[in-house]
Amino acid sequence: MSPFFFYLFAAILIFASLAVILARNPLYNVLALVVAIFSLSCLFVLLEAFFVGMILLLVYAGAVLVFFLFVVMCLNLNTVVLSSQQQTRFRWLGSFVGLMFLFSFALAAKSFIRAHAMEPSSIRGTIEVIGKILFTDYLLPFELTSFLLLIAIFGIVSLAQGALSTGKDSENL
Amino acid sequence: MINANLVWIAFFAPLAACVLITLFFLKCKTSSSLIAIAGILTSFVCSCLVFTQIFQTNPPAELQQSLSWISIDSLTINFGFLINPLAIMMLLIVTGVGSAIFIYSRGYMDEDPSAPRFFAYLSLFAFSMIGIVLSNNFIQLFIFWELVGLSSYLLIGFWYAKPSAADAGVKAFMVNRLSDFGFLCGIILLWSVSDIGSGRSFQFTNLMPVIAHIDPHMLTIIGLLLFCGVVGKSAQVPLHVWLIDAMEGPTPVSALIHAATMVAAGIYLLARTFFIFEPSTTALTIIAYTGAITSLMAAILAVAENDIKRILAYSTLSQLGLMVMALGLGGPMQGMYHLTTHAFFKALLFLGAGSVIYALHHEQNIWNMQGLLKKMPVTGITFLIGTLALCGIFPLSGFWSKDGILALAYTNNTVLYLIAATASGLTAFYMGRLFFVAFWGDAPASRHGAHNHEIHESPAVMTLPLIVLAILSAIGGYIGIPHYLFPQEAPESLNMRVALISSVVALLGLGFAYMIYGKRTASDPLVTKLGVFYTVLQNKFYFDIVYAWYVDNIQQNVALALFRIENGIIDRAIIDGIANLARVGGKAFRYLQNGIVQSYALVFVLGAVLLFLFLIKSYTLIFVVGIVPLLLFLLLA
Amino acid sequence: MLGHYLILSGIIFSLGLIGVMTSRNVLKVLLSLELLLAASNLSFVSFSKFNGDYAGQLIVFFVILVAAAEVAIGLAIIVVMYRRLSTIQADELKEMKW
Repeated sequence: MSPFFFYLFAAILIFASLAVILARNPLYNVLALVVAIFSLSCLFVLLEAFFVGMILLLVYAGAVLVFFLFVVMCLNLNTVVLSSQQQTRFRWLGSFVGLMFLFSFALAAKSFIRAHAMEPSSIRGTIEVIGKILFTDYLLPFELTSFLLLIAIFGIVSLAQGALSTGKDSENL
Repeated sequence: MINANLVWIAFFAPLAACVLITLFFLKCKTSSSLIAIAGILTSFVCSCLVFTQIFQTNPPAELQQSLSWISIDSLTINFGFLINPLAIMMLLIVTGVGSAIFIYSRGYMDEDPSAPRFFAYLSLFAFSMIGIVLSNNFIQLFIFWELVGLSSYLLIGFWYAKPSAADAGVKAFMVNRLSDFGFLCGIILLWSVSDIGSGRSFQFTNLMPVIAHIDPHMLTIIGLLLFCGVVGKSAQVPLHVWLIDAMEGPTPVSALIHAATMVAAGIYLLARTFFIFEPSTTALTIIAYTGAITSLMAAILAVAENDIKRILAYSTLSQLGLMVMALGLGGPMQGMYHLTTHAFFKALLFLGAGSVIYALHHEQNIWNMQGLLKKMPVTGITFLIGTLALCGIFPLSGFWSKDGILALAYTNNTVLYLIAATASGLTAFYMGRLFFVAFWGDAPASRHGAHNHEIHESPAVMTLPLIVLAILSAIGGYIGIPHYLFPQEAPESLNMRVALISSVVALLGLGFAYMIYGKRTASDPLVTKLGVFYTVLQNKFYFDIVYAWYVDNIQQNVALALFRIENGIIDRAIIDGIANLARVGGKAFRYLQNGIVQSYALVFVLGAVLLFLFLIKSYTLIFVVGIVPLLLFLLLA
Repeated sequence: MLGHYLILSGIIFSLGLIGVMTSRNVLKVLLSLELLLAASNLSFVSFSKFNGDYAGQLIVFFVILVAAAEVAIGLAIIVVMYRRLSTIQADELKEMKW
């Protein structure tokens, strides 16, 4: 049972990722990423990491990607764009380099896998367990993330403000 | 005791004169000539003083002084002098005859606007020649050897606007360069085998004990290579072709360089380094035969010449051949003796010819001269003395020295003796021809041509040196030169048989000349008598034609091929190729900094991949991953 | 088993890289960046499961958090860029030449 589901979700994940990078319409890109996150979440569940799986869905697919959709619709983008010479070249080169990266990765993983044949352990990442560790061993990072989010908010607001004022000025001109 | 400072002064005085003239006096005719004369006279005076100092002791003193010049590991080259009786005699000749000629030039060149340049070159030559005489090691000798060649080139082509003069200068330099190549090979070869425990050396005194340890075949090769230098500088066959054309230079140049001193440098070299040649009979034989053949060939060619300077040039060639032959027969003393007397009377003859040319406003064809003895008595008589000395008539100096050589040949090698005797006979014949055509008889009643001036004797500044040299030519046999040159050898006694034969031959030659030319005809009767052979003689046995053919057809093609290789491969492929590499590489790498962040990211990832591949040591993959992006950049750029 | 997860993670990571390097559209670049993060999350969690250590999952928790913040700022930047250049073509951002 387990291998079947693994391959199923893995296939969905791969196809969704391909769609992310190959689709023309930016909307399709975002939606494909949502699908990818979904399948990733399912894979997490297969690995019995329930908490992070749910968090992934809630935060990522729920908030971040929705935000993406907002921006895409805001910018009112049509199917992009003129192809420039340089980008064409980069396509081939980029694909090649990416494939080489994959190949290197495979080489590394192969030797690692041969060296360490592993059996899955019996840990289960439930909310209770994760919560307990989070609030005892990892309390400091947990609290510091609030600062991180605060700084992020500052950054966004100042960027948007600057953009707004620039936009206003250019309109008046 | 020999005062070394005197030697250094004698060495560098002419150089100082040359530098002074070049820097400050290139516009002043009188000052430049006086400075040059002062320079050479200083050298002469110093040489005389050193001469007295050498012979104060018995056995005569020797002095060597060197400054260390190059000293790297096992390569040591010094700069210094070696004074011994041989060197001082040569130095006296060079500076003495040189002084006479410098003084003479003052008169000869006074109509020429570029006279100061002439005196600068002459002083440079004097310096270089003194350098050859005094050098104590082969490298220094070679340097001055080349310098002398350079001075010769500058002086032959002095009137550079005249194409024949410029060409003659180049010809002289090229031929000398060719011989110097062999010379240098010989020097280096000798140096490379000269190690017997205390390191290798170029110095003569250090090489003397080494000779016994060198393999005889190697010694022969070294000797022959060194002889190459002599063949070029002293104009032996087959490199004699430059001396005839060298007569394009002013007459004092011909007198000094191409009669008395520079061409004698080869003989001097042979005598100075005779210890190298002595053990090798093969080398000596080749040297002797080369000299003899040169002597005979030059004498034959002189018979067909009509230019006064060229006749004298051929006679120089002939006498040089005799000297080389003497050295080849193992007689450095006889060779140097003849060199000394030859310097006297040949310089005299050339200066006399110059006097004639000057008086006749640069007329050089003897068939346009007649009865000069009556018009220019001093010149005529001194010229006669010089001629008789050259022919070897008793009791003039030439008789004694030539007799020495002929006796040496007679006792050692009959073939060489016969060749030398024939050459001497021909010498008498063509010199007689020259004298009888140009000087004998009555002057013509009217002279045609542009100049209707009376022909008169040359000024005193020119005739005085003539008189001095004539006196030296006459008494040169009696001042005991051989004794001074080689004090260790027993004085030579006269071989009566040889003396008689040579005197008879000389008189016969003169007699024949009188028979044919005593009654002056309009043109040379020999032309008709010799017929076809005369044409061969006119073309100088076709040496020049053969050489010209060789240069045009073979050498030019080889040079062209080599040029193509150098141009095509080295210039274009390698140098331009490297430059192109930079250009193409730059064009390709331009795209690394195009401002587009994504391409930067791409390079970043590429670098990471390459680093990983390097770490797992998969070089083929590195090659693939590295080359493909490069190619993409290059091809699509 | 672990190997399968690792290979999958590698594939997703490579796809994300390709997206970052070749996208004409900066939005797509940002999305590919998310893919990268997702791939590494997968790898972390699988190691956590196979090593028996919860640290991997906790790291994923924080990574998600940081990714969220980063995406927000990235989108703000894209908006600024759109207002400035009226386009979101990656090519138009050429000023890092010198």
